[in-house]
Amino acid sequence: MEHPHEVTLPAGAIEVPPSSRWRRLPAIAGAVGVGALALSFALGRSDGPQLYHSYLVAYLFGLSLALGGLFFVLLQYATRAGWSVVVRRLAEHVMATLPLFALLWLPIGLWGFDDVFHHWAHPPPDDPVLAWKEPYLNPGAFYVRAAVYFAVWTLLAVWFWRRSRRQDEEREPAITRRLQSLSAPALILFGLTLTYAAIDWIMSLDPHWFSTIFGVYVFAGSVVAILAFLILVALSLRGSGLLDGVLTWEHFHDLGKLLFAFVVFWAYIAFSQFMLIWYANIPEETEWFIHRWHHGWQYASIFLAAGHFGLPFLFLLPQEVKRSRAGLTFAASWLLFMHYVDLYWLVMPSLHHEHFHVDLLDLTCLIGVVSLVFAVFAYLLVRGKLVPVGDPRLAESMALEVL
Amino acid sequence: MAHVAYDIDPVEHRPALIEGDPDFHGITEAVARPVEWRPPWGWYAVLAASLSLLGLFGVSIAWLFWEGVGIWGNNVPVAWGWPIINFVFWVGIAHAGTLISAVLFLFRQRWRTSINRAAEAMTIFAVMCALIFPGIHIGRPWLPYWMLPLPNQMDMWPQFRSPLMWDVFAVSIYGTVSLIFWYVGLIPDLATIRDRARTRLRRIVYGIFALGWRGSFRQWLHYEKAYLLLAGLATPLVLSVHSVVSFDFATSQLPGWHTTIFPPYFDAGAIFSGLAMVVTLMVICRVVFKLEHVINPLHFDRMAKLMLLTGSLVGYAYSMEFFIAWYSGNLYELFVFINRATGPYAWAYWTMVSCNVIVPQFYWFKRLRTHMGFLFVSSILINVGMWFERFVIVVTSLHADFMPSSWDYFKPTFWDLATLAGSFGLFFTMFTLFVRFLPMVAMAEVKSVLPQAHVHNRPK
Amino acid sequence: MNRDETTPSSAPPNARPAPPEAGGKLFGLLAELADPESLMRACARVRDAGYTAWDAHTPFPIHGLDRAMGLGKSWVSAFVLVLGLSGAAFGMLMQWWISTRAYPLVISGKPLFSWPAFVPVMFECGVLGGALGALGGFLYKSRLPRHHHGLFASERFERVTDDAFFISIEASDPRFDAEETARLLREAGAHHVELVHA
Repeated sequence: MEHPHEVTLPAGAIEVPPSSRWRRLPAIAGAVGVGALALSFALGRSDGPQLYHSYLVAYLFGLSLALGGLFFVLLQYATRAGWSVVVRRLAEHVMATLPLFALLWLPIGLWGFDDVFHHWAHPPPDDPVLAWKEPYLNPGAFYVRAAVYFAVWTLLAVWFWRRSRRQDEEREPAITRRLQSLSAPALILFGLTLTYAAIDWIMSLDPHWFSTIFGVYVFAGSVVAILAFLILVALSLRGSGLLDGVLTWEHFHDLGKLLFAFVVFWAYIAFSQFMLIWYANIPEETEWFIHRWHHGWQYASIFLAAGHFGLPFLFLLPQEVKRSRAGLTFAASWLLFMHYVDLYWLVMPSLHHEHFHVDLLDLTCLIGVVSLVFAVFAYLLVRGKLVPVGDPRLAESMALEVL
Repeated sequence: MAHVAYDIDPVEHRPALIEGDPDFHGITEAVARPVEWRPPWGWYAVLAASLSLLGLFGVSIAWLFWEGVGIWGNNVPVAWGWPIINFVFWVGIAHAGTLISAVLFLFRQRWRTSINRAAEAMTIFAVMCALIFPGIHIGRPWLPYWMLPLPNQMDMWPQFRSPLMWDVFAVSIYGTVSLIFWYVGLIPDLATIRDRARTRLRRIVYGIFALGWRGSFRQWLHYEKAYLLLAGLATPLVLSVHSVVSFDFATSQLPGWHTTIFPPYFDAGAIFSGLAMVVTLMVICRVVFKLEHVINPLHFDRMAKLMLLTGSLVGYAYSMEFFIAWYSGNLYELFVFINRATGPYAWAYWTMVSCNVIVPQFYWFKRLRTHMGFLFVSSILINVGMWFERFVIVVTSLHADFMPSSWDYFKPTFWDLATLAGSFGLFFTMFTLFVRFLPMVAMAEVKSVLPQAHVHNRPK
Repeated sequence: MNRDETTPSSAPPNARPAPPEAGGKLFGLLAELADPESLMRACARVRDAGYTAWDAHTPFPIHGLDRAMGLGKSWVSAFVLVLGLSGAAFGMLMQWWISTRAYPLVISGKPLFSWPAFVPVMFECGVLGGALGALGGFLYKSRLPRHHHGLFASERFERVTDDAFFISIEASDPRFDAEETARLLREAGAHHVELVHA
């Protein structure tokens, strides 16, 4: 396949102009984030378990987005993708927020640890199962593993982000070649760290419960989240007159198709996990779903199944929706919301298994974490080119046509 | 043998998919030749060998029907032995065809055009082999209609809460949809053979199956839409089929079988083994039928990368099962896994791990991804490993069940081995006939990925 | 463009009688183009000239030719959607009826209507319906299988499944005029134009 190598980038389309409202976003979002987190910690002083569970859900929401961004970038390099070059920079900035999550983890790791992980951190003496798991589920190993995760994520994110940015100046195809060859081993590190982080920070909340597919489940949700986020950011950049003639409806169509595919993939993994546990009906496994099928949680479960799969599946089916601003905006916003519901459904029943309860702290923590992540994202976004201008496949990406 | 004449993985531009810059007619000639010419003696040799194995299959099944399933090694506690292993093995082989034809189509991987036809054919033949095993394992092969949603003479209906019923639907629908997909893809190429026919008989026979195709673009428009939609349907279908096969095991309460990662893990393994089979067959076919420029190192490089991916996913699943077996604190679960690695079937377990996890790691090196000799040997090793994976899952979970007094060491009988070998006879007979009578490369699709098929300046 | 086979109702006003040297009724004109690019340009001209009973013939699908020919969207997807959803609904209803009405039997303590256990078969039936819809929709919309077609009378046309690119304009087209139309096709870049008699 021949592709034109020379690209004419529309002037003013690939950099955020000084007058743009995007320039003000980092400061605003940062202030909102700090304020909302300060409010959360003030409000939650008297109710540690509620505060730190709410905070954990919000934290996981932001983290899964950032990890989804890392996966998206690595996947594009590993598959030598051409179509996605014009959206890759957005994902790179999401990925580049990963170091922030080491900092945001501290409240959970330092102050909230006993409130969140007390089931296994202080096990009842007559529990042989938790005694058996002690070599894995103990605070020391837990902290060491967390340090390893953050080290791997920071290393990968910074390394890939820096080199992609350097290519903007140097226009060196060798950089792409190097990133390509390292993307596959990086994906292995990504897969392993994501799996064990999911076990440590979500599955261990119910320390008796276990499921081998759990890492895949969390992964599927993260990819849905990053795709939805990329679509929303790209749409609003286009709305501000940016990326005009660079990022086209062809790209949105492809992103929409991927979003649809991962909605189905998530449902497939979720159904496999549920059906196998429901079918075998072994008490130590079924207990986890029992908690999510009583005391009001059954409505959350039904809402999750319908909202994270049924509705978006039917909605995203027609081709026209994936090429429409209103259609994609709705689908992507809805799925980001449902991703939060999904994480809420994973975490919260371990705190409120005797009644369904939504707290004000859920909202303030979510606003706090998301605003801080968005502040960093927007800060990086406005300070550079919006697309990797030095990428050898940029012209191919801009010429994308979906058959 | 491992010469790569050009960079198959450049970043500055996309590599040519077909070597030697052929024109459209050159592709037609290269692909139609094996269908029209007298085949080389090697083809007759392979057909004769395959037919002998097929004869063995016939004898094995005839003897089974005469004597009963007692001729096999299946016995309590390993009541699900060899036939179910072979069933899962063959269904798995089938999966690469759909992956290449449907999944890679949706991902716009245009290199697939050189190999998708043969891979789809392989899918259909593998499903045929697979369906035979549960059919002959039911013990009363004259009552197969009991598997259909019909009442029997006692007015009993099938039991749809059984994963074995899901299997009946999943595998037979998979075979049907694969056949439709394959046939729709064949129509334009059958028309090519029809239009080139020199004898009346060929013209009539290929003409009937070409349905009167005349390359009309108004028809191409519907054709392409139907092909896209079939790909969109086949993609979730292929994932569901091996998931349903995995449900046969995973819905049970047996340690080593009941684990939630089975569906995606079985899918990855199925695609892994199927790709290995495609590689094995294509390494031979491209040489025998002089298609080296159409099926070239670039295609093997891409397939080897997919094998590296799926092999590593299988490795992830192995390690996850082991970790959670310990983490669960369930001693029975843990015992099964320790027994797999160190018990009487440790030889099978380590064969599986070496072939499935270690062998594909060599594909990190481009030299080995494009080395035909290495690809041939490694792809066969992978299929040995994938067969043993099913052996390990079925036999090690059953042979040491909850009651130690019934523990036993399963050994296959001569007829087990003969039936397995015979199923290869069926597979290779079908494949040998396919490469002789049908175009083994999707000509129309290959032509559409040649550089000269691309229109640069389109009119308004 | 719903029906893609042109089915003329009445004889065109300006159709010429068949020349004596060729047998049979005049089918139309067949023009051969050199490559996909010139075919696409020629198609745009034929489209702009207002012809309706015409077609392009190619050995492989050419991206963008549908627009050059002025063709609309293919509605095969409607067949797939309707039959796919019907298949899935049928699959679930069948299992519900067999398990709760025809032969209710408690298995492993599960309810008679165990929907999670019925999802796999429901899904497979949906896919089967969709695939049959894709096959049937494609055959119906392209009027296949078909025993014979006027163009098969042309010997040159045999290469359409190999490496040749054609435009055919049928004599039934109201704008068809053997000489005028042939001139248009030549001007549009055809290097060979012939009359085809069915």
